[in-house]
Amino acid sequence: MAIIEAVDLRKVFRSVVRQPGLGGAIKALFSREVEETVAVDAVTFTLEPGELVGYLGPNGAGKSTTIKMLTGILVPTSGTLRVAGLVPAARRQDNAQNIGVVFGQRSQLYWDLPLRESFALLRAIYDIPSERYRTNMKAFAELLDLERFLDTPVRQLSLGERMRGDFAAAMLHDPRIVYLDEPTIGLDVIAKEAIRTFVAEINRERGTTVILTTHDLADVERLARRVILIDKGAVIYDGPLARLREEYGTHRTLVVTLARPYEGIEVSGATVESREGLVVRLRFERRQTSAEALIRRVMNDFEISDLQIIEPDIDSIVRRIYIEGYADGAAGAPS
Amino acid sequence: MTGSLPRRRFRLAPYVALASRAMAREATYRFDVFGSVASVLVRLYLLKMVWSALYAHNVSPAQLPLHAIITYSAVALLMGLVMDIDQTRALHDRLHDGTIATDFLKPISVPLGFFADGTGEVLFHAALIVPALVLSLLFVHIDLPSAATLAVFALSFVLGYLVGFWINFILNCSAFWTLEVSGVQLIVTWLTDLLGGEIIPLVIFPLALQKIVFVLPFAAMFSTPLLIYVGVIPPAGWAAALGVQLVWVLVLGGVATLLWRAGAHRIVVQGG
Amino acid sequence: MGTGRMLRVYREYWRINILTTLEYRANFLVWFAFTFVYHGSALAALWIMLARFPSMNGWDFRQMAFLYALWMVAHALHNTFFSSVSDVPDHVRDGEFDRLLVRPLDTLFQTIATPGQVFPDELILALATFVAACIYSGVRIDLVFVLFVPLIAIGGALIDLAMNLAISTTAIWFVRVDALRWIVAQLEQEFTRYPLGIYSRAVRILLTFVCPFAFINYFPATYFLGKTDGALGLPPVVGLLTPAIGIVFVALAYAFWRFGLDRYQSVGH
Repeated sequence: MAIIEAVDLRKVFRSVVRQPGLGGAIKALFSREVEETVAVDAVTFTLEPGELVGYLGPNGAGKSTTIKMLTGILVPTSGTLRVAGLVPAARRQDNAQNIGVVFGQRSQLYWDLPLRESFALLRAIYDIPSERYRTNMKAFAELLDLERFLDTPVRQLSLGERMRGDFAAAMLHDPRIVYLDEPTIGLDVIAKEAIRTFVAEINRERGTTVILTTHDLADVERLARRVILIDKGAVIYDGPLARLREEYGTHRTLVVTLARPYEGIEVSGATVESREGLVVRLRFERRQTSAEALIRRVMNDFEISDLQIIEPDIDSIVRRIYIEGYADGAAGAPS
Repeated sequence: MTGSLPRRRFRLAPYVALASRAMAREATYRFDVFGSVASVLVRLYLLKMVWSALYAHNVSPAQLPLHAIITYSAVALLMGLVMDIDQTRALHDRLHDGTIATDFLKPISVPLGFFADGTGEVLFHAALIVPALVLSLLFVHIDLPSAATLAVFALSFVLGYLVGFWINFILNCSAFWTLEVSGVQLIVTWLTDLLGGEIIPLVIFPLALQKIVFVLPFAAMFSTPLLIYVGVIPPAGWAAALGVQLVWVLVLGGVATLLWRAGAHRIVVQGG
Repeated sequence: MGTGRMLRVYREYWRINILTTLEYRANFLVWFAFTFVYHGSALAALWIMLARFPSMNGWDFRQMAFLYALWMVAHALHNTFFSSVSDVPDHVRDGEFDRLLVRPLDTLFQTIATPGQVFPDELILALATFVAACIYSGVRIDLVFVLFVPLIAIGGALIDLAMNLAISTTAIWFVRVDALRWIVAQLEQEFTRYPLGIYSRAVRILLTFVCPFAFINYFPATYFLGKTDGALGLPPVVGLLTPAIGIVFVALAYAFWRFGLDRYQSVGH
């Protein structure tokens, strides 16, 4: 039995068209001209219990709107949505009991008091039985190394410590589903690793379903087996991450900082993506050109002061899918 | 310390720039603006009702008939739009979060810089007096005194404003030494309104209390200009009244300067 | 979710409030001084006015002191238990509001039970002032008085809550509600210091039926002090209706709140 079922999920925002300035604001009071923005358009997917899915897309693609509908914050304009058998917005409180949410940018902990007190309050809010609370606290303290700062006021914690606290807070009541929104943003490498290990652990040991929204491809690679890619409100890919990478993430960019302002730049095996002053971005296909060969060619032909290789990110993969069209009809192809 | 440096010519431009920026900033707080004006109107209505009720059933003071006390209240509230601004709040805020250090690095006089910044805010609020006045006239009658009286009132208003400016400056300076003064500031504001005669004319106070309040600087802020306006202080008394205000301006200015020097010294020497 | 859960959460919330307040002890002293000066200067202003003009629509200073003190208790009750409702507009603006929707409890309850720094000083001061005012005004303290005054104080706090909640709810549409809040605050704090009869008919109706602040202290005081003011021609005994008025208005405000939530969930922010 699927734990999340979304069928033809649609969210349309209407706003009154208004021009800037005072005149525009007054006109807007009387105008009936409404503009519709389709934030989420016919999104359909199913999640089985225990899945760990990366929900990815460029900014403004409709990711957070979808998450808000799943968590019960927003009501869909049309379509069916069932989370653990409930319609989220209709059964808000019951749905809330089943889920945990970590907003990377915003903490749910109480700033002025020790971490421990936030947990105590959450325990009351989620009505967690004492035994369960003790067991979880012990487990998380170990997994996330919380003991050290359990009694420190939250406002004095580093970002990494606070995030770990937020994770424990989200999991305290044994939610069946956890939504992670940019969970590793701003963290150093060690902290990121700790968080990723924790997420992998709870997914494996407790069978918690995890939906991960992130711009950090490394997060996704480390954790998610399945990836749902959304752009302009529609799902453009739903499947294994490996396949996405293989087919659409094969390009790379070589960023070259020239030592002198050369005139025309041409390198065989790569296309010039952009040029700004001394910095040239060269794009090449991994399968056709090896990085090593390209670098050698570049260093032969030009004097270089710096080099950098950039892996494809979500944005460039999405752009590419759009330009080339998603060939495999597994998920709705853009028209 | 500064012996070898040549004395720089005083430039007005940076201060004007600061003031304009402050004005633009204030203009963006649309709702606060609307709130201030609305607040004046609501208070004025209330005072009109209160005084009318009090005058109806009691013996009214000869020197201040009903129309005069209502005029007093209206002008007091309009003055409040400007007087209630803490022009040197920036000083306190920056002392608090440490950014004051960068101010000492700029090639402008620090206290004047704060004054200029606050002036923009003050001028913007002063402009608010016009719509507030127009709207007030819709439901109260404000007496108009002679041109001479108005001129002296204006002068007295400016002096009163300066007294308030120095008082705020002194309070803000205390941030050099203590941590948290915003509560104290609010306390002083409330006391000022009552003891300064903004809410109730000081001549209404019981005689025993009058002896005290007229001696305090707060009276110089509101009461003096207002009593000039409504004629309780006749032309014969103008010079003396303005004189007292001037004395307060000088005395408080002196205290403020001393405090500022001591505090700035502390920052520069100790690093705050 | 169950009442038991709500009670436990409420208890935890208060524990955290107290801990937080203790954490910021120094702050507390300054704010107490401010509270003292605020109410002190309000009473002082009344005293000065009535010293010069002994009667205001048939009310003397003793009675006005009682009027003020009664308001003070209700107002302090509201500030102690319901003040966090005023923070809703900020939360709507910065996105914190979403957090309330993601937790398994009623949103209004969560708003009220949001930990912060709660100073009980105003309430203690209000109670002390009220006791002093009762003695000073010589109000008749009978069984009705003893039974109803606590209920009226609570009713007054509920009226304040209702208005606070209604204004906060409008933030879902208008985002910035400061101007509205200031004006209503002036009605609640300053207009209630004086007998209702001094205002024009329109304002009397406003303060009785729309923003029923007159029920916080004026009507009850009229009853207890044995006055026959007849403002709006209502018999003094309506002063005992305050608890009911409080409950009715909170119910109305809550309905409006739910309406606002529906809109928030359909339109976002």
